Amino acid sequence: MASEPYVKNYLSEHYGDDAYQTLEGYEARGGFAGLKKALALSPEEVTEQVKASGLRGRGGAGFATGLKWSFMPKQSDRMKLLVVNGDESEPGSFKDRMIMERGPFQILEGILIGAWATGAKRSYVYVRGEYKQPIRVLEAAVEALRAKKYLGKACFGKKGFEHDIVVHSGAGAYICGEETGLLESLEGKKGQPRKKPPFPAQYGAFGLPSTVNNVETFAHVPFILERGVEWFKSRGTEKSPGTTLFGVSGHVERPGLFELPMGTPLREVLGLAGGVRGGRRLKGVMPGGLSMPILPPSELDVPMAEEFLAPKGSHIGTGGVMVMDETTCMVRVACVTAYFFRDESCGQCTQCREGTGWIHKLCEKIEQGRGTEADLALLDDVPSFMEGQTICAFADAAAWPIQGLLRHFRSDFEAHIRERKCPFPESFEL
Amino acid sequence: MPKLSIDGVEYQVAEGRTVLQAIDDLGLLMNGVDIPHYCWHPKLSIDGSCRLCQVEIEGMPKLQIACNTPVTDGMKVHTQTPRVEKARRGVMELLLINHPLDCPICDQAGECKLQDYAFDYGVAGARTREPRRPAKKSVDLGPTIVFDQERCILCRRCVRFCREVPKTGELGVFNRGDESLLETFPGSELDNPYSMNVADICPVGALTTRDFRFKIRVWFTDDVDSVCNQCARGCNISVSRSNNKIYRYVPRRNDAVNDTWMCDHGRMSYKLNAQGRLTHARAEGNQTTVVEAARRAGHLLRIARNAGGKIVGVASPFAANEDLEALRDLLSGLGAGAARFSVPRGESDEILIEAEKAPNANGCRALGMAESSDSLGRAEVALVLGHTLHASAFTDVEHVVLIDSHESALSARADVVLPARTFLEKGGTFTNADKLVQRFNPVVEPPFEALSEREALAEIAKTALLERA
Repeated sequence: MASEPYVKNYLSEHYGDDAYQTLEGYEARGGFAGLKKALALSPEEVTEQVKASGLRGRGGAGFATGLKWSFMPKQSDRMKLLVVNGDESEPGSFKDRMIMERGPFQILEGILIGAWATGAKRSYVYVRGEYKQPIRVLEAAVEALRAKKYLGKACFGKKGFEHDIVVHSGAGAYICGEETGLLESLEGKKGQPRKKPPFPAQYGAFGLPSTVNNVETFAHVPFILERGVEWFKSRGTEKSPGTTLFGVSGHVERPGLFELPMGTPLREVLGLAGGVRGGRRLKGVMPGGLSMPILPPSELDVPMAEEFLAPKGSHIGTGGVMVMDETTCMVRVACVTAYFFRDESCGQCTQCREGTGWIHKLCEKIEQGRGTEADLALLDDVPSFMEGQTICAFADAAAWPIQGLLRHFRSDFEAHIRERKCPFPESFEL
Repeated sequence: MPKLSIDGVEYQVAEGRTVLQAIDDLGLLMNGVDIPHYCWHPKLSIDGSCRLCQVEIEGMPKLQIACNTPVTDGMKVHTQTPRVEKARRGVMELLLINHPLDCPICDQAGECKLQDYAFDYGVAGARTREPRRPAKKSVDLGPTIVFDQERCILCRRCVRFCREVPKTGELGVFNRGDESLLETFPGSELDNPYSMNVADICPVGALTTRDFRFKIRVWFTDDVDSVCNQCARGCNISVSRSNNKIYRYVPRRNDAVNDTWMCDHGRMSYKLNAQGRLTHARAEGNQTTVVEAARRAGHLLRIARNAGGKIVGVASPFAANEDLEALRDLLSGLGAGAARFSVPRGESDEILIEAEKAPNANGCRALGMAESSDSLGRAEVALVLGHTLHASAFTDVEHVVLIDSHESALSARADVVLPARTFLEKGGTFTNADKLVQRFNPVVEPPFEALSEREALAEIAKTALLERA
């Protein structure tokens, strides 16, 4: 992967610049202007600005950030926490890694603004265990803030603004990217999502009121404060303002990151990535990471924002665009997808624990040419009693891609059953 | 008090309860309002993972789990809609795709929630042809519990029980997804004073007690309500019997006494009933009939009373209140003072186990009997129930009349011995540590001639009180 996005915008403007990773370099390039503006406002005013900006969480669910902050109890005798989700475990997603490595102070500035707005005294940055370099960079950045007394009893010299930041390494589980699974893992327990209620704003990490936001979400916040709500809303779409880092992977000429306004047509994103490799024809695109349903080539003009993708039966997710060319066997895609979700299910809820395994067995059977029409009918049915019925959205994430593949590429499945073998010899190996 | 509507019927429920808790509070759960559930248990924390208790709530787009959804005023819950039924069928089917379906050799058959709910809410045929997940059969989790890993549906009731009730936490679910397995933590075994409760709360045949497994099919037994007699707590139990034989105790829910638990010692005490029994009446060392022994005892008491000799009464905290009253009445008829009693004592805990190792010391106290384990001193006749007072206390007693169910040092020394029924062989009441009077019922008949203490005392009184009559 390149060390900076191919297409830059405000977020990644300085991502090629090594000095931007240092505190001095960050400040010299206008860093902390947003925080300083925020500290001149009351916490409520900051929350109001973030609300008014329409910023939506960049972790996959797209929840309104300002609204989430407002759930934190105003008066509380318990310490409040911010939890920063840098677990980035969604296959096809690699934007957070870039932000953590190249823009660590953007995240930290966003955290401090969030801390001022919510009254949180401590934040935990939970970083995916495999992300050794991002952890090193973030730890160094936190240390630099501490050394300059930007953290502690009076952050940035502001009396009564106490905050400290802890960087925490995950241990390698997809489900620890789910906000309450992350909280359990942060507490040192097995990563299993919590039932809700209670919600994290009442009972979060260590039982304290907590707000969990994705690292990219925090990275956008300083720009909103510095440049204003109207400036932010002038980018992206009405319902999904701002830019995001689209991570394009798979069968394209130039895989990598592209910072583009929300709502950029999928066709344009693919074009920037150099189009399908070797001049082959496109077969399908997963627009938002592995858990979001696949789109056929006929949907390429869809603007990449939740409000346009949802009517097409998919979602923006994490903006991890996975491109598959005509050689791809969609049953194999179903196999690897099903295997991933089977392996990563935490195993609490019946539908998810048993359903993911069953789906994988069915996909494998069809791919190996042992499948029947009855198996295909089961593959239609099993995901339907998984989605929407479990503690967290994992079962949905496991069901949706299978449903998407069946919706648009049913003929691939039928061909396997008819020919009793995989008819795509050139497809990727399982 | 919030109003909760369930299938169109409105109820008042307590504040701060979830839908399933509120229905349980009303006494309607699976008893008018059928919401099948596995992971939820009234006395354990809410887990919310089996997803079987999903219901439809007006105004909520998705189905909600009844166990964890807080009741709000005016909430309208529907438990039997097509969506709910589809969700239940889905959960039941998924729980069974890896289940061994070995009911014919499973000891839980007949009292298995997987069987019951599959019958009520599942479908008859299996749609999966895939191989089932292999797992271990017959794993010893500890001295009391045998585990069948294949049958486990991972409801984690046992895990929560060990963490929350005895607070020993020996169990955990290891690995992820469909490789999740219940196991003890490495280097530990399931061994705590309450371990066998996990077999009761296990809804399937995964956890069974080493003691009961394979002894009898549960449909050949019937259950009688009773009370454990091993300490002053008086845990409510059901006694399973078949062909005049007792097979097990299982705790019976009583929120004021034992919630839904009992200790392992109490549970295993059903065996004490049959061991070392006093099977025949004796008088002066010779076996005789109960009637003749009672006549001899009455004779001794009458002579002593007529001669102005001292008569002392010794009660037993294992006797029922009705027996204690009969003793009080006979002693007063003989002009003797109130009986005394002594209580065996041992370890106690903060959960159920009481230091007083007898069920009815408070019954003795309520009748004005004094507790003492001192020597009885010089006396002509001692009229004794049970053997909680050590035989050495009777050194200076001329004649001992004993009514007891089990052989002891005292029965070897007594002049007249009448075999008594145990609490499992008669009805009556015990007064527990919290002064709750609790009824127990006759479960079995003794295989030899024996009377309850009250019957034996009445028989003795016929002779003892003859001249006064």
